[in-house]
Amino acid sequence: MDSLYSIYKQRGYTRRDFLKSSLLLATFLGLSPSAFPRVVEALELKPKPVVIWLEFQDCAGCTESFIRSTSILPSDVLLDYISLEYHETLMSPSGFYAEEAKREAIEKYKGKYILVVEGSLSPKSNGVYCTVSGKSNVELLKETAKNAGLIIAIGSCASWGGIPHAEPNPTGAIPLSQLLEDKKVVNIPGCPPIGDVVVAVIASYVITGKPPELDSMGRPKAFYGQTIHDRCYRRPFYNAGRFASSFDDENAKKGYCLYKLGCKGPITRNACATVGWNGGLSFPIRSGHPCFGCSEPDFWDRGFIYSPLSVVEGGFSWKKALVGVALGAVSGAVVGAVHKKLREGK
Amino acid sequence: MSDVAFYDFVRGPFLKLALFVFFIGIAYRFFRVVFLGLPKDYAKPKGNPYYMALKKIVIKPTMGWTFNEIFSRRAINFMGGFLFHLGFLGLTFLVPAHAFLWQEITGLPIPGVPNIVSDLLAYSALGSLIALTVHRALNPVLKLLTGKDEYLANFLIGAILFTGILATKWAGGGFYVWILSTHMFLADLLILYIPFSRLSHFVYYFLSVGFMGWNAGKRGVSF
Repeated sequence: MDSLYSIYKQRGYTRRDFLKSSLLLATFLGLSPSAFPRVVEALELKPKPVVIWLEFQDCAGCTESFIRSTSILPSDVLLDYISLEYHETLMSPSGFYAEEAKREAIEKYKGKYILVVEGSLSPKSNGVYCTVSGKSNVELLKETAKNAGLIIAIGSCASWGGIPHAEPNPTGAIPLSQLLEDKKVVNIPGCPPIGDVVVAVIASYVITGKPPELDSMGRPKAFYGQTIHDRCYRRPFYNAGRFASSFDDENAKKGYCLYKLGCKGPITRNACATVGWNGGLSFPIRSGHPCFGCSEPDFWDRGFIYSPLSVVEGGFSWKKALVGVALGAVSGAVVGAVHKKLREGK
Repeated sequence: MSDVAFYDFVRGPFLKLALFVFFIGIAYRFFRVVFLGLPKDYAKPKGNPYYMALKKIVIKPTMGWTFNEIFSRRAINFMGGFLFHLGFLGLTFLVPAHAFLWQEITGLPIPGVPNIVSDLLAYSALGSLIALTVHRALNPVLKLLTGKDEYLANFLIGAILFTGILATKWAGGGFYVWILSTHMFLADLLILYIPFSRLSHFVYYFLSVGFMGWNAGKRGVSF
């Protein structure tokens, strides 16, 4: 089977191009310089990864992000290298032939293939809210996950339940890890996640034969170890107390910090501020919009996209404060009056 | 529980609970004292109680500001107390993240200060709080006046200041959200604790100082 290097050669790229990609990949993964020869050797010799990509309650945005990930591998190499044996949005076959191809891939690459799941699961009412080829999403997941070498939950829907999981969650959406409690799941959250991160995680599995180092929530530490705030290029403005108050004021034009406009960068772990999007070109904050924390659990239910993080969620209510004052006043008056009576009675 | 779930809890339901209890407790204490009333006093006032109440409120913060008073007798009390209150109140209202909160509550355009100013306020508040606490523990007179309430309050405020400094200075660490959430959790605890402790002087300061002045005026004595 083809290795990455052989695909580079077939496509007319030079060895230098291959080494550049390998170096970039090693850097992405946060490997030490001494690991570089091992990375090159693995990408030169090991066969390309086989991927079965399942979509459940999703919008296919994660797929869109993935196929535009061109920082590490050129676009014509990417889809040749990551061998997508089954992908409902990208594959040409459909119906019986598509399902048969998946079944064959599961048999042929037993224990070796990578299962990527996009979208949340819906076990409610025996999974009737999401079915493919007459099978429920739960059934499809379990039969495919059984022999997978690596399982990746791509996007916030698969990682945390995402937007389908948001209140009132009519389909009873749950994350992948909740159905596969006995298996190790690599979560790559984001709405969508950065495609280059997905490529790097898959390539890291090819190189080392195991998932990358994960944090307590199953996210690769190399990409989700720090908050966006920590690495934001607007951080100096935050430190200096300079904030934009609206999207079009003078301070916004000067590129000041977007905290006041609702930036969730301080509580959001992702690699947007370092890896960037569209080949490292930009990310939401660079484009002038605050981060709304799409890679964190329940980001949609947090519901204060354009309010600063420090304000009272749902707004401070003077009405409730006055109710508290009234309650306290009445009980204080009663207790005080009773004490007075008792004192006078002595 | 994940760090973000804890964060959502402390800035959502827990903060709302703390604020609700705070308002109940503050109103309860005030109305209880008002309705309890004072024992009847038939003596005619020897001075002007209302004038003295106002005078006390106005001049109290600067009453001890004489060289001898500050440096020869109660230096730690005055310097520490001044720096601590300046730092803590400055931080509470003027750190940008806090200023946005007060702006939302009051509707007033409260300006935030740069990090360098909040750093100075934080270090002076934390340093003086430690000095005042040690002084309390060692001074033979203050020791007698100090109970668990004071130590608990000082510890809580110190922990809030410390975690606030850590949250501001933190960069490149995976525990940032935990630190920030802990800072906010402790602040919620402080809001809850204020009505039940002597920290309630934060709310009743003018009332109690005014009452002291009113009493002095009634008796015809000077401060």
